[in-house]
Amino acid sequence: MEEEDQRKLTDLVVELVRRLLSQNPLNPQTPYSDPDLRSPHFQQSLSYAVRILSSRLTPSIAPDAAAIAESIKRRLATEGKSADALTFADLYAKFASKTGPGSVNNKWAVLYLLKIISEDRKSARNGLDSSVFLPNLALNGVEGENSSRVLRGRESREKGWSNGVLLVAKDPENLRDIAFKELVNVVKEENEVSEEVLVRDVLYACQGIDGKHVKFDSDVDGYVLSDSIKVPKATRIMVRKLCELGWLFRKVKGYISESMDQFPAEDVGTVGQAFCAALQDELSEYYKLLAVLEAQAMNPIPLVSENASSGNYLSLRRLSVWFAEPMVKMRLMAVLVDKCRVLRGGAMAGAIHLHAQHGDPLVHDFMRRLLRRVCSPLFEMVRSWVLEGELEDIFAEFFIVGQPVKAESLWREGYRLHAGMLPSFISQSLAQRILRTGKSINFLRVCCDDRGWADTATEAAAAAGTTTRRGGLGYGETDALESLVVEAAKRIDKHLLDVMYKRYRFKEHCLAIKRYLLLGQGDFVQYLMDVVGPELSEPANTISSFKLAGLLESAIRSSNAQYDDPDILDRLRVKMMPHGSGDRGWDVFSLEYDARVPLDTVFTESVMTRYLRIFNFLWKLRRVEHALIGAWKTMKPNCITSHSFNKLQHAVKLQLLSTLRRCQVLWDEMNHFVSNLQYYIMFEVLEVSWSDFSSEMEVAKDLDDLLAAHEKYLHSIVEKSLLGERSQNLYKSLFVLFDLILRFRSHADRLYEGIHELQARTVDSSLPSRDKNKSRKQTNDRSSEPGTWLSDGRKALTQRAGEFLRNMQQDLDAISKEYTSLLEGFLAQLPVQQHIDLKFLLFRLDFTEFYRQLHPTK
Amino acid sequence: MDPEAEQAARTARESLDLAFHMSNILDTGLDRHTLSVLIALCDLGLNPEALAAVVKELQREPSPMPIVPTSSSPH
Repeated sequence: MEEEDQRKLTDLVVELVRRLLSQNPLNPQTPYSDPDLRSPHFQQSLSYAVRILSSRLTPSIAPDAAAIAESIKRRLATEGKSADALTFADLYAKFASKTGPGSVNNKWAVLYLLKIISEDRKSARNGLDSSVFLPNLALNGVEGENSSRVLRGRESREKGWSNGVLLVAKDPENLRDIAFKELVNVVKEENEVSEEVLVRDVLYACQGIDGKHVKFDSDVDGYVLSDSIKVPKATRIMVRKLCELGWLFRKVKGYISESMDQFPAEDVGTVGQAFCAALQDELSEYYKLLAVLEAQAMNPIPLVSENASSGNYLSLRRLSVWFAEPMVKMRLMAVLVDKCRVLRGGAMAGAIHLHAQHGDPLVHDFMRRLLRRVCSPLFEMVRSWVLEGELEDIFAEFFIVGQPVKAESLWREGYRLHAGMLPSFISQSLAQRILRTGKSINFLRVCCDDRGWADTATEAAAAAGTTTRRGGLGYGETDALESLVVEAAKRIDKHLLDVMYKRYRFKEHCLAIKRYLLLGQGDFVQYLMDVVGPELSEPANTISSFKLAGLLESAIRSSNAQYDDPDILDRLRVKMMPHGSGDRGWDVFSLEYDARVPLDTVFTESVMTRYLRIFNFLWKLRRVEHALIGAWKTMKPNCITSHSFNKLQHAVKLQLLSTLRRCQVLWDEMNHFVSNLQYYIMFEVLEVSWSDFSSEMEVAKDLDDLLAAHEKYLHSIVEKSLLGERSQNLYKSLFVLFDLILRFRSHADRLYEGIHELQARTVDSSLPSRDKNKSRKQTNDRSSEPGTWLSDGRKALTQRAGEFLRNMQQDLDAISKEYTSLLEGFLAQLPVQQHIDLKFLLFRLDFTEFYRQLHPTK
Repeated sequence: MDPEAEQAARTARESLDLAFHMSNILDTGLDRHTLSVLIALCDLGLNPEALAAVVKELQREPSPMPIVPTSSSPH
């Protein structure tokens, strides 16, 4: 028998070597063919094989097929081939069940062989076997144990200790066996309940169900093993620890069912629903694990001495290994559930995002997966907002809030950011951009009545590389989101500005406002002033705005303004401001420009009010200038020829000349002031601001830029024209000055009236034929004196003239004095002003340093 | 052929099938015949570690060849 076995063995070895060599693709001589049995190469290999076989006669591990199968399964599972692991388990079960004649007797050896070969091949491929160096304790526990056992076995074999375990198991008289048996008895005595039952109970508890012995205790707030059962303390603690999973599960499950069933949908919102769905998916993964474990829990747990018939048993300790990973996830979910209970929408996504910043790759991946689901509704909202301008936010979860407003305030007030709902992974600037893009679309749609944006949006989406369909974006693709938003914003803003500039001719309207409201069109203003002047001198309540509108019309028609666009002229109106009892027409008259949708987004009511203030100021300035020019017309030196006064008394003549001179000087001073102020306003305020505004308009990228530019333009005009808050005092004294100048004008008029009268009289006295003519003029005259001059003689005339001139001189003196002090006050205030341009005004007014020298103390 | 032997042959074939499947899953690279030889050797009580070493060494041909001195043939 021995002999036969030996022969068979030799044959088999020869066959094996032959097969292996014929298979070996590296075989240099005869690839893929039967090697020659007598070739030296074959002989060498054979002898080498025999040498190896004879050197290791005994295996280094205990023959336990189930343990080996288990270890192989684990390894496959940890390599990520769970399907293979399952197939393998199935195959092994069948393989193990084959008994009797014809079956493989030495099953463990076959398995072990396969395992080693596969590991060898793998390590040959990978260079080294990582499990030897860094055994992953949690997952590769069994394998690690095995390999260390192998190592230990090898060492011990070298020491001469051969098949120890095998011998022990075979010897019933052995002391160890007896000791094991005693241990079994002790264990059985100590534990009232077997471990299988406990494991099963723990598994139940982990699904939130009370087991037979492990029940939920609301006092302790956790699953505990009931006290009546006698088990060692260690087991009790172990059960308690394992059941933490059950407690966490209860919490998560409770949240899900609460959100899904009990609350109305408004309280949860789409983000909350997505969160619940994601949690639900994680739980179903968890259920799968529990199902597998439950199946394994059916296998009896072998005690130490009993033969391991099945490797798939579950002890509490094994369970704790299995639970390590789900525990981490479940804990995380419970934390999130706690955190998110009161949050909704964007705030919830933000809170979850905060937890995603984790170093553990397991946690990181888990959170990523979760967040992708949670954020998908949010990203969908962003997408439809940016590309379609739709606010699909039924449950108020989005970080953009819309409110119904009138068309003109849609841009400013229609939509705003809701900071609380802004998740932290979207930056503030990006959020602003998102807000503006959608707002632009809505603005185009509502105010501009434009359809072109849809193409632009499609184009933008194509450029950003995403499709316009739903679900194109997800969490973690913030870059993609940003590029989409940037592309969309760029195009839509451009489109919006195009529409504003081209279709609604924003620039032309701005220019028209500057020309008409800011009195930039000189001939028009001049003519208007001439036409409406007499009308406006009437008390405000007697003036008809219809008449003024007619006058405006004629002013337009007789100036170059008539060539302007009729659409623009059509928007220009006369406006009468509300007036008090003493107001004159001058105080209430103003022009108005009707901007209409969509330009009224820029020219809002408050903006127009500011324009109106500027207009009133400019109008007053113009009026004063106009008045001064009017005075000049009468004052021109050549109007009064001094030779006509030759007949007058010398003293009176001197008096007359000095009065005239005084008047001229005063006029000159006033004219200097007004024309310089006028120049400053026109060229250093309006034109400079306009040119700044124009260049800013060129570079404006979106409507906000445009609004800001316009705001800046208007603000700079207001500030520089002394209309700002800080120059209130200056403005007031300026108006007092204006009033004084107007008063001067009436005085000057009166003076010249008197002089003309005098002149006429003196001429009259020599030419009586003109008496009739003069007397008619006199009745129309508003001057009080003339009537008395008529009948008096030459002496009386001279006397009256002297008196009149004296009065006038006094008046002029008073005015001059007042003017000087007022102007001084005004000039003193100028340097105090903040605005740098006002300093230039001072420089201009006091160019020769005349005023400074006049009051050196200042 | 008596039914008992037939039964044994079928069991043997099925066992080999199963073992071959497992071997494929584990990616050992063994063919069916080699596997059957190896199983037979295992049944004869040879140490699987040693068998695995043989398979490994001979598959890694021909690198071990020069190491083996022809003179040290056993027996």
